[in-house]
Amino acid sequence: MPDPFHILIAEDEVLAAMALEDFLSFKGFRVTVAANGVEALERYASERVHALVTDLRMPRMDGQTLIREIRERDAALPVVVMTGYLTQDSDLTHERWKPLEIFSKPVNPRTICNTLNRMLGLPQEV
Amino acid sequence: MAVGLEEFLDTGGFVPHGVCLLWRPDILMLHVASDVLIGLSYFSIPVALTYFVIRRRDVAFGWMALLFALFIIACGTTHFLSIWTLWTPDYVLEGLVKLVTAFASLATAAALWWLMPRLLALPSPRELEASNRALALEVATRREMEARYSSFFNNLGEALFIVQVLPDGDFAYEAINPALARIGGLDPEQLRDRRVRDAVAPELADLVIPRYTACRDSGETIDYEETLDMPAGQRVFHTMLVPVKDAAGRVIQILGSGRDVTERKRLQEEVVQTSKLATLGTLAAGMAHEMSQPLNVIRLWTENTLTRLHENLLDPARAERALKLVIEQTDRMGKLIDHVRTFGRRDGGGMRAFHPAHCVESAVELVRHQYALEDIEIVEHAGLAQLPVTGRPLELEQVILNLFSNARDAIVARRASGEAAGRIMVAVSDDPDRQSVVIQVTDDGGGIDPSVLPQIFDPFFTTKEVGKGSGLGLSIGYGIIDGMGGRIEARNVELESGSRGVRFTITLPSQPVSSSDREFSHA
Ligand SMILES: Nc1ncnc2c1ncn2[C@@H]1O[C@H](COP(=O)(O)OP(=O)(O)O)[C@@H](O)[C@H]1O
Ligand SMILES: [Mg+2]
Repeated sequence: MPDPFHILIAEDEVLAAMALEDFLSFKGFRVTVAANGVEALERYASERVHALVTDLRMPRMDGQTLIREIRERDAALPVVVMTGYLTQDSDLTHERWKPLEIFSKPVNPRTICNTLNRMLGLPQEV
Repeated sequence: MAVGLEEFLDTGGFVPHGVCLLWRPDILMLHVASDVLIGLSYFSIPVALTYFVIRRRDVAFGWMALLFALFIIACGTTHFLSIWTLWTPDYVLEGLVKLVTAFASLATAAALWWLMPRLLALPSPRELEASNRALALEVATRREMEARYSSFFNNLGEALFIVQVLPDGDFAYEAINPALARIGGLDPEQLRDRRVRDAVAPELADLVIPRYTACRDSGETIDYEETLDMPAGQRVFHTMLVPVKDAAGRVIQILGSGRDVTERKRLQEEVVQTSKLATLGTLAAGMAHEMSQPLNVIRLWTENTLTRLHENLLDPARAERALKLVIEQTDRMGKLIDHVRTFGRRDGGGMRAFHPAHCVESAVELVRHQYALEDIEIVEHAGLAQLPVTGRPLELEQVILNLFSNARDAIVARRASGEAAGRIMVAVSDDPDRQSVVIQVTDDGGGIDPSVLPQIFDPFFTTKEVGKGSGLGLSIGYGIIDGMGGRIEARNVELESGSRGVRFTITLPSQPVSSSDREFSHA
């Protein structure tokens, strides 16, 4: 069995992060959780990460900044955004941030999982 | 004696006067015609005079006119006797008539001189006319003034009334204007001169008599706001009572005016409500985020559980943990919903006793998470705060929330200029003398320009860009605190960390709370 894909979750809501971590681990991913953007960047710098799942509003460093920082390092890293509210003027829907998908909370973990599979070129589950 | 008189009247020895005229018919005719004309004229004058005196009953010295009449009749008679004596030598009779005439003339002349000063004192027709004209002018002026004042009294929308202070100190209505009659459903005629207690409903009398008494006893103008039940519904009046005193300084009358401020009051409440809704609007965005969080947790945990259930990998302990988590999250949402609901509600209820610390806590709870996301920390400094205050808890919470949102705006602005900021400190404590409660909200957002500091409580004063600030927050907050009998002040402070900011201090008087309303509640 090859090494599982490593997913970095940036989410300040501990219970949500825990549940998603549980779900994705159950589905065979290796998962690391960070409570904010700064922590997520540190993790990204120290470990090989295959995809990022991030919240937008977080203390210390928000999701938008985190994505910008990461895109500077890796233009192709799959990013899944989970957000409580997306402001109209957010430019995250723009092509230049791709590969990037946006979901509003409450999110369906199966959808997140399927999206990650698709973005990482893995077979889809039903 | 009788014989003597007859002898005296005997004219046997005389010749008629015509003899002297040699019976010349032309001379006789001349005398007769002239005397007849004179006599008739003389006789007609007293008739005219008497007629005048009778018709003009008010004529001064009417008896004088009658005296004149007598005198003129006598004169007339002498002329007729002159004709008579042309043919009949009744000279004695003629002499006697002349004697009578002489007395009448003398009396008339004497009376005339005697009356002269008083006759002169009588106003001449021209004087009369002038004084009449002056009088007419005065009457016109007064009429005009009365018309002007009565139209003022009758047409002014303000309720006006005049209360008489009776010798026994009680009050009676002297007059009320149509506006008051209309608003109060009162009949001015029925009210006139009736004692207040008899004239209006007992509940109304109980409300107004103490005010009249206060005005009567102090002898000073008083004004106050009162809510009265009127036929047209409950109305709020701003009433003013002005005492009118007699020479001895006793209040004999009270002039009252009442302005119906019901509409203005309603608008004021409307403004408070609007700003509350505006605050709610800014909170709504944060609220959407707040709500999506527990929903998200619920969704994730139920999906997790469901997946494990499908795979037959769900152990009871895990299921229980997930379900408990879900319940907790629904609680969290329920609280948020409650909060929004109560906050948006019109806080029209009465004032009541409550602990301000609860409001502060509640406000902090509402924004803490949202602010944390923006890296703004709310630090609570719990002092000893046990005293209750009186007011509407939700309104106080609104004031505090607005202080928080101002602090947040200041912090965000300070950061935008490259400086570090991000702390809001809030403290509630009882005053050392235990008379009042002090709430302080301090930020490190850089402070307020001293030149605008005096204006920040003015309505619509804002330094924020259009759409960001309404400038109403602090002015409404001021009104709310003022309504609770307290005060709110702002000053710039230097913090220990070296940064600068603003400290808002709210001081609320603590009323001793009677045991009956010791039921505290908080929003
Ligand atoms: N904590 C604060 N720090 C700096 N300035 C403040 C603070 N609180 C209030 N102000 C000033 O007072 C003004 C009036 O405040 P407010 O009445 O709440 O209206 P608004 O917030 O809509 O502008 C603000 O525009 C701002 O200039
Ligand atoms: Mg404000």
